[in-house]
Amino acid sequence: MQLLLQQVVLGLLIGGIYVAVAIGFSLVWGILNIVNLAHGALVMVGAYVTWLLFAHAHLDPFLSLPVVAVALFAFGYALQRILINRVIRAPLFFTLLLTFGVNLMIVNALLVLFKSDFRSVTPSYSGSGFGIASVQVPYIRLAALGVAVVLAAAVGVLLNRTRTGAAIQAVGADRDAARLVGVDLRHVYALTFAVAAACAGVAGALISTIQAITPTAGEPYTLQAFVVVVLGGLGRVGATVVGGLVFGLVETLGQTMVPGLGAGWANAIAFAILVVVLIARPQGLMGRRP
Amino acid sequence: MEQVQVPPPPSPPGTAPAPRARVNGGRLRRPLLIVFLLAVLLVLLAPLTTTDQADSLGVPVLVDRSQIRILTTVAMFVVMASGWNLVGGLTGYGSFGNVAFFGLGAYTCAVAVDVHRLHLPMAAGIAFAPLVPAAFAALVGLALLRLRGHYFAIATLGTAVAVGEVVKNVDYLGGATGLFPPILHSADLLFLYLMVGAALLAVIVSRLILRSRFGYGLIAIRENEEAASVIGVNTTAYKVGAFTVAAALTGLAGGVFAVWNSFINQELGFSLDFNIQMILMAVLGGAGTLFGPVLGVIVLEFLLQNVAGRSDVAVYAQIGLGLLLAVTVIFVPRGIVDFFGGSSRLSLAHLRRALRETSA
Amino acid sequence: MTVLLAINGVTKRFGGVAALREVTFEVAEGEILGVIGPNGAGKTTLLDCISGVVRPDAGTITFGAHEIGHERPHRIARLGVGRTFQIVKPFTSMTVRENAAVGALFGASRLPPARAFAVADEVLERVGMAAKASQPVASLTIPDRKRLEVARALATRPRLLLLDEVMAGLNPVEMDEALEMVRSVHRSGVTIVLIEHVMRVVVGVCRRVVVLHFGEMLAEGAPDDVLRDPRVIEAYLGEKYAKKLLATTGERDG
Repeated sequence: MQLLLQQVVLGLLIGGIYVAVAIGFSLVWGILNIVNLAHGALVMVGAYVTWLLFAHAHLDPFLSLPVVAVALFAFGYALQRILINRVIRAPLFFTLLLTFGVNLMIVNALLVLFKSDFRSVTPSYSGSGFGIASVQVPYIRLAALGVAVVLAAAVGVLLNRTRTGAAIQAVGADRDAARLVGVDLRHVYALTFAVAAACAGVAGALISTIQAITPTAGEPYTLQAFVVVVLGGLGRVGATVVGGLVFGLVETLGQTMVPGLGAGWANAIAFAILVVVLIARPQGLMGRRP
Repeated sequence: MEQVQVPPPPSPPGTAPAPRARVNGGRLRRPLLIVFLLAVLLVLLAPLTTTDQADSLGVPVLVDRSQIRILTTVAMFVVMASGWNLVGGLTGYGSFGNVAFFGLGAYTCAVAVDVHRLHLPMAAGIAFAPLVPAAFAALVGLALLRLRGHYFAIATLGTAVAVGEVVKNVDYLGGATGLFPPILHSADLLFLYLMVGAALLAVIVSRLILRSRFGYGLIAIRENEEAASVIGVNTTAYKVGAFTVAAALTGLAGGVFAVWNSFINQELGFSLDFNIQMILMAVLGGAGTLFGPVLGVIVLEFLLQNVAGRSDVAVYAQIGLGLLLAVTVIFVPRGIVDFFGGSSRLSLAHLRRALRETSA
Repeated sequence: MTVLLAINGVTKRFGGVAALREVTFEVAEGEILGVIGPNGAGKTTLLDCISGVVRPDAGTITFGAHEIGHERPHRIARLGVGRTFQIVKPFTSMTVRENAAVGALFGASRLPPARAFAVADEVLERVGMAAKASQPVASLTIPDRKRLEVARALATRPRLLLLDEVMAGLNPVEMDEALEMVRSVHRSGVTIVLIEHVMRVVVGVCRRVVVLHFGEMLAEGAPDDVLRDPRVIEAYLGEKYAKKLLATTGERDG
């Protein structure tokens, strides 16, 4: 029983990471109608920036969050404006191919810069935590969850309470109508992508403190983000939060309850479930029709 | 109520109808095609100069072993790209998981010829190779082809990953180690012509389909699935049909690969590299056309082979591949073939037009 | 008079909204039936139900001897029902001729490719598009696209043709031409159900008219009678203006 509780707590904590990863992905998909296959790579860029700051400037990973966010924001803006914008109106398949190409470029650029060695960010307090009723709560993971929640809230505020957010939502709802009322489409697209990239970067920063990173470690996160968004439903921050937490829970519990289950089988099962859900309920478990 | 007709979306890139109906093809087309076919013929006959008989006749050697390998690889990708073209190009369902069929075909053949398993002759193995992927496609296709766009792409990708994972965990299929079909010595030419035969089959099948009711139905589905269904196209049957044919062809390539390579494992059989390459080749060459995939394979293999085998630049090769993907999708979405047959010319204006149609 | 199409108690809901509610009427073979009603009345949903694009929640649809309410669209097309769409759906990468030919390849006729092109030429002639047979679709004007849509549906050799607002977006001259096209199609022996907003078209070509309002049948009969029906006027103009109109016309009629 105590083990179960422990696993639930850990599951929720890791779920926070998944939420952070999924938020940016969901934003780009919902507003630009682009499934960004390079999202995991952006996450890794954030992770490496954090690592660089930690290893060379001795900057605490949580303190470097704003730096990472800004850096990835700028990178995302440029990336969208220069490359991705060119296929916005192209058939869906081409956007998939493009983001896949971008993914290849980023991941391999990281490989060139950092090689495939595993690195991690280990501040002095990693590994330690506190106990509540015989359940161990690691500080870092709790902080990560906290950051993720703040991030989700921030994005929610941006979307719902600012003019920029209104413009973004307008473009997402009807891009031609938005253009007619004077919204600068290209800028809003780039802005949205930039925000998503910043979220990915923050997620990467958090990930760097929890697991060892390597350039190719971002791939599973893209797929996971896809699953979370599909299951939770496109277009709602709340649904994404729930989806991410549930995913974390299921993954953690699944690994403990079926000890022999390799990561591979888990992937296979996750996809089988995903395909079934997609066919039975294309709008996800909670969302409106995309 | 006055209905305002929204201007039609630009013609989907990479969509060329059967050659017969293309009225405004460039005059360059026929002679170029003939030159191309002659070149292919030359390339196919040249390897024969490496045989002992040719040697005793005093025929100069035109190609060496490594080049025969390259040709075999090219032929293999022609099969795979043509197969993908049927589903992604003609029907408009961009699958990101066709490599699953490759792997299934490879494993089927490997299991069939394996000494400790079915122990059948190689011919049987290759004959069975298309069957398992085809059956799989027919089954899974019914469910998957209900999805569209992003969902279909990711679902097929997921399926390929999942199948690969399952295969890796089954002992009968060699588990994580893989299977080792018996090695055949001095069989380079045999495998070359086997693969070329498969490539020929793929092109012939594609041509037959393009000119048939089936092909028109698939194109109709791509252009407007709802309209296709109300004029009488059984969209489900047609989609699954195309999917199955693609699976059979791709599986055949996998089968020949397994015995040619004398080794197959999950990483090779379900290689995401192969996956993206076959798509890129079809798109680069011209999705939806007959020779597009062939052209794309030749161009891309040529590029890849120049950097292959040099592990220090493997990373840069991948970056190049990514860049090529980006460039293709942005500037040449209709593929290289479009420059030769379409009403457009190789010009800046054409590129600018392509950009204008697809950018924000 | 043989009944070609019988709609009986057809109901269709989308979410909580009933797009069609207990709609019942018949179409005789060889007639041109008009379906009119204000926006949102459910006219297109009706066509969707008949052509199989959408499945009715209740009721039956009988075409000839076949119950088609639950059939898939391609089966219904093969039985001899053709339709056009309000927002045309041409096959953009094909030429005009190929678009028409695809109709002949499938549908009720199912001809081999060689003969399909011959039929294509025939239907293009009938709709007046023969001169543009080898043009790519992208270069067509809106009236021409609508003609192509009709040609493609005709190529399937339908016994029943469902036309969804073919007149929309046309200027008066184009409308006359389209009207003539509809008459020509009718003369070739095709029964037509015509959704239309332009009243002079309805009056000009339909012998009988059915009025839908909020998914329900409001009236049925000859166009002149139906258009004078106070309930129909009220449906189109709203209660206030309907009363005004009826008051003034009542005065004038004396």
